Amino acid sequence: MTPALTLRDIRKSFDGFLALDNAHIAVRWGEVHALLGENGAGKSSLMNIAAGLYKPEAGELLVNHNPVRFNGPRDAAREHIGMVHQHFKLVRPFTVAQNILLSLPEPAEPLSYRQRLAEVARRVQAQAAALGFAIDPQARIDQLSIAEQQRVEILKVLLAGARILILDEPTAVLTDQEAASLLTTVRALAREGAAVVLVTHKMADVKAYADRVTVMRGGRTVASVDPAETPVAELVRLTVGEGVDDGAVAAPRRAGDRGAPMLTVRELALGARGGHRPLDGVNLTVHAGEIYGIAGVGGNGQGELAAAIMGLSRGFEGELRLQAVNLLSVSPARRRHLGMAAIPADRYSHALAGALSIAENFGIGLVHAGRYGFSLWLRKRRMDAETRDAVAAFDVQGVRSVAQKAALLSGGNAQKLVLAREFSKQPRLVLAHSPSRGLDVRAGAEVHARLRAARDAGAAVLLISEDLDEVLRLADRVGVMARGRIVAEFEQPADRQAIGQAMTHHD
Amino acid sequence: MTDAVSGVPAPRRFEPLFSRRYTLEIRQQMAWPQQAAVLALAVVAGLLISGAILVAAGVPAGELFQEFVVATVFDAQSLQAVLFQGAPMIMVGLAAAIAFRARYWNLGLEGQMIWGAIGATALSVYDVGPPGLRLLLMFGVALVCGLLWSLLPALLRLRWGVNEIIATLMLNYVAGNFLLHLLYGAWKDPASAFPHSPAFQPFERLPELLGPSGAALGIALVAMLGVWWLVNLSRAGLYLRFVQASPPVAHAVGVPVTRMVLVAVLLSGALAGVAGFLVTSGQEGRLTQAFYHGYGFSGILIAFLARNHPIAATVVALLIATLFVAGRSLQVFYQIPFSMVQLIQAIVVICVASSDFFIRHRLRRVLPS
Repeated sequence: MTPALTLRDIRKSFDGFLALDNAHIAVRWGEVHALLGENGAGKSSLMNIAAGLYKPEAGELLVNHNPVRFNGPRDAAREHIGMVHQHFKLVRPFTVAQNILLSLPEPAEPLSYRQRLAEVARRVQAQAAALGFAIDPQARIDQLSIAEQQRVEILKVLLAGARILILDEPTAVLTDQEAASLLTTVRALAREGAAVVLVTHKMADVKAYADRVTVMRGGRTVASVDPAETPVAELVRLTVGEGVDDGAVAAPRRAGDRGAPMLTVRELALGARGGHRPLDGVNLTVHAGEIYGIAGVGGNGQGELAAAIMGLSRGFEGELRLQAVNLLSVSPARRRHLGMAAIPADRYSHALAGALSIAENFGIGLVHAGRYGFSLWLRKRRMDAETRDAVAAFDVQGVRSVAQKAALLSGGNAQKLVLAREFSKQPRLVLAHSPSRGLDVRAGAEVHARLRAARDAGAAVLLISEDLDEVLRLADRVGVMARGRIVAEFEQPADRQAIGQAMTHHD
Repeated sequence: MTDAVSGVPAPRRFEPLFSRRYTLEIRQQMAWPQQAAVLALAVVAGLLISGAILVAAGVPAGELFQEFVVATVFDAQSLQAVLFQGAPMIMVGLAAAIAFRARYWNLGLEGQMIWGAIGATALSVYDVGPPGLRLLLMFGVALVCGLLWSLLPALLRLRWGVNEIIATLMLNYVAGNFLLHLLYGAWKDPASAFPHSPAFQPFERLPELLGPSGAALGIALVAMLGVWWLVNLSRAGLYLRFVQASPPVAHAVGVPVTRMVLVAVLLSGALAGVAGFLVTSGQEGRLTQAFYHGYGFSGILIAFLARNHPIAATVVALLIATLFVAGRSLQVFYQIPFSMVQLIQAIVVICVASSDFFIRHRLRRVLPS
């Protein structure tokens, strides 16, 4: 078999953060090639380079041994490379045929719109039949299920002439049966000679459907092996790494040091019974003076759990208590009054108002308690002075004046501003969701030090992170979240391999 | 590109104007003097276009400045008319600004004005309260009536998510038709049988205070200071800024979003209700059929041009009032229809709205490589 697509020594950084370094992959014609790795390992970045969406800073791309250079996805399409993204790029009120027509180049012979649409509809049906499923070209996208929309995406890239097909986490949104059917289709494509890259984190899919697997970790390619000859334990070890002790690990607290239960979650659920349930009976307890880390692959209910604790949305069933108070029935303002602090995953959706000043964003944390005046009077001078102190204490860089907009802060400094506000009172419960995502190493370490300090001061800290290293470094206890529940719990020192197994190998 | 690397500047070649390429870039932040300059330029552009239209409509070009500036601002009587017109304009401008700050599109200013005026007039028609307190009572009742009329769409929105743009706009028609119902029925003036209420008693009219419009203007300026205090100096103002900047963030950091929206909307309705009182008691001296016409649109326009800032809203309201007064004299002297005034308003607004683009973007020439 000859190589179809080769990426060699690829380097790529975003805002100074090295996302890919020395990454490579070689995909041959006629094979299903799995690309395995944790969230943030660089799988999607590498594939976006192959699809012409990102430009690499170093390294080379070869298609059929020929070096190529892409200035955009159209250049990649010219080399017969097509990518199906995790988030579909379809126009919802348009029909299947219209969506596919949009992505096709202008035909050589002049045809009317109606003729072209009919032509596309015919080709859609033919291609779908060849792949072994049926689809109505006149159906509107918003009437289709997720699995059907995904088929439309696949048809779209195939009809645009793709012979090297990249599927980014295609089974993440599918039920087991749908996933099995999709992967069977993918195998059929490879049998006919196409090259397929399957970006995934599911060991079972890799074992069952891939001819080769390339494993990435921390932006590097760590191995390229034959899945049939490699045991699952070995794949897990390659994916999550050996977990080398970097010396920064604080001695985890033993059960004896734990305080009273602070946060109690019992059978917390969201969604209709029988239907899709993002949360499906979460049970956990976080004690005063401990960090409870939730590990797991993204999209298994972590976001919903964080929303439940912060009070961002409604509709939760079950029990969520901060000591004796049922949090589900009180407002976010009341939760904060009770001593909850939150570091949400998405700063500019749930923590900072970018258009407002640093002082306003800091002051809003203490203003409810009346520290900066009552409803008809704001003690602005005091707020500004305390903001300046907090900005200095938390080492928020790039602040010329506390009156400047918060949006002008870099990611790490914006996060430090959030921390400065959330820790301006002594919190009893801290929720930290991916608190060091997108930060450089130094800023990340500072965030971690703050969380440890909060724990040592007696707070209960719930850390939710898709970065297993972060969880292992910080948490005193680790829970693994999958399919809306905590499927396993580990005392530190936890077995990294066992956690990896629980994250990826569950039913 | 090679020139840039070697440091030798490329000789300037002539490029035909139409083959030059430009790119648009998003501008992060513009210093406020520059922003003010862009806005001023937009207003000037709008006025120039309007001037050209007026000239085309038959106003001699030389007379424009005379009519708009000299005759309105430097003539004591016209200035009086401007201030007279200005007080209710300021009130509706403030009313719109405070609601918009809570991301609530109150298009029901006219309905709230109507109810304010109906409330005030009811006291006159049914002779409620001692004459000495009558005016004060009328003021209070107008305020409460405007507030209550704005409560209905606010509750619909906050409870059931009913779009307030539709609700407030439609409730204007309800209020307007109820007004006609009263004026053609129970409240018809027995003296003339015209469809307006009987004339107010002298003690039901706003007193002269440093000129005929002094009292109304005083109320408007107090309202301006109150709103300015609320949005700039109070804790509620900080909450309101968070609601305006991002409702999800405001909710997550513990701002009582629902309560703040309600406070802003009720204040908006109350201010509009008082505007209704100012027109009926201060200008007309009775409840008439069409006293509210145009105020709803003007209020939105004022708030928009002033970027919801209370002091700027006051200045803009007085400018719009000038435009109204000048428009009236144009009508008399040059037979220019009054709708020309609305045309000018619209042109200026479009120019200012477009200038936003230049504040947020930057046009940069792309040099050929």
